[in-house]
Amino acid sequence: MRNLLAFLLRFQGVMLFVLLEVVSLFLFITNSSYQRAAFFNSANAYAGVVLARRTEVADYFQLANLNKQLLADNARLRQRLYPPDFTRREADSLPVGRDTLGHIIYRHLRPDLATLATQVAAPAAGDRMATSKPDTLLLGSVRLAARDDAYPLLPARVISNSLRAVDNYLTLNVGAADGVQPGLGVLSAGGVVGQVKAVSQHYATVFSLLHSKMAVAAKIKRDGTFGSVKWPGDDYSSALLDYIPRQNRLVRGDSVVTSGYNSVFPEGVFVGTIESFEKEPDKNFWTVHLRLGVDFSRLTYVYVVHNRPHTERDSLEATLTAPEPKPAKVPLTKLPRR
Amino acid sequence: MSALGEVLRQLLRFGLYAGVQVLLVGQLSLFGLGWCLLYLGFILFLPLRTPIAVLLLLGFAMGLAMDISYNTGGLHAAAAVLLAYLRPWVLRLLTPRDGYDAQDTVNVHQMGWQWFLVYLLLLVSLHHLAYFFLELGSFQHPLRTLARVGVSILFTSTALLIVQLLFFPVRRSRS
Repeated sequence: MRNLLAFLLRFQGVMLFVLLEVVSLFLFITNSSYQRAAFFNSANAYAGVVLARRTEVADYFQLANLNKQLLADNARLRQRLYPPDFTRREADSLPVGRDTLGHIIYRHLRPDLATLATQVAAPAAGDRMATSKPDTLLLGSVRLAARDDAYPLLPARVISNSLRAVDNYLTLNVGAADGVQPGLGVLSAGGVVGQVKAVSQHYATVFSLLHSKMAVAAKIKRDGTFGSVKWPGDDYSSALLDYIPRQNRLVRGDSVVTSGYNSVFPEGVFVGTIESFEKEPDKNFWTVHLRLGVDFSRLTYVYVVHNRPHTERDSLEATLTAPEPKPAKVPLTKLPRR
Repeated sequence: MSALGEVLRQLLRFGLYAGVQVLLVGQLSLFGLGWCLLYLGFILFLPLRTPIAVLLLLGFAMGLAMDISYNTGGLHAAAAVLLAYLRPWVLRLLTPRDGYDAQDTVNVHQMGWQWFLVYLLLLVSLHHLAYFFLELGSFQHPLRTLARVGVSILFTSTALLIVQLLFFPVRRSRS
């Protein structure tokens, strides 16, 4: 017994080291596939509050930038007034709750203000939806109904965002209390942003499109060729479009939009434009470089979307395969064989 | 210093390093490549005689705190535990001719520039190599990853050196 104790004490360093390494590597490996360790991500309430506070502070230093953006937005809106094009209404940022000083309202930090804001917005015309929300929003060049109660578009504020890691995540200031569930899509006015990974009561963590395991089912808008958009891991403004057969003809500047195949995003949401393409001798497919529509370095407001036929599709496909929440992937079997 | 006081002091240091990392330094990037992992300073500048078990546990705790705010699962924890494990080895490697004195700490003024720079660069490099290649999960883009490692080493080391010069007391240097 004494020998055993002596042995344990002598090798405590090595053994503790191995133990802790195994624990952390286990957490690391299981992290991207499933929120088993739900505690260990920024959607958890404590980290979320810290990040929200940080955003509040950082907002002050971005005021100059924000002003510039608002000026540009104003100019664009004025321009749009002259042709009476009321069908292309685009709200970048409006429906996120703000108090009278223009601060973003984090509901659980200041619940009194949040209810106040909705009350102020509500009674004016008697119809709350009409005053606080436009009926459709132009997100990623697709018009989505904002007033559909069954499939709401949820405006959200990005409170944490990373660009430099291999696997990047966003944290949003909406959570289960607002109806966010893991697996929903996230869009911005510029296009596809990512997919919800985990939610807590008031915060959500999102797989960014800049995640090594994220793949978006996409198609080329011009001829409908299906492919899959992946991020190769270097530049946050570009991505790759895989699985375009070599005999297809490509054009630079073509739009790439979601195909709606992975039932996360609605069909036709803008992803990016084709920037360059090349044939590599050892591959069966074109190597297509995309310029992403979303500028991830200055992402501020996003929308969480429900894909319409999602629920029905999922229950149908669940009978075929055993489902597990995963970042969206395009199964190879769904690609057209030519 | 009493044991309780020491524990409190280290807790305060833990909070400071973690807070500064998450709130301030984590936002910065050098050339769009490198990242400043300032929180390593917490592990690197612990007292020389910290028992290995305590060192490993503190490294793990600090790594987990970073993982929670950066959504990396156990990546930071794995690399930080490795760093904590390697620290005594590097300390042994760098032992001065007459061994460490009782009042020695990891302090650039006390231990000298040469000692400190080797200590800092060696440990930070090992940590960053482990961190970035683990994050990638493969050796697919070696050049790009090495560039990230290099720039990050530069950034982290410079920041930690500044921390030393600003916050560590200048005492009589070793004779």
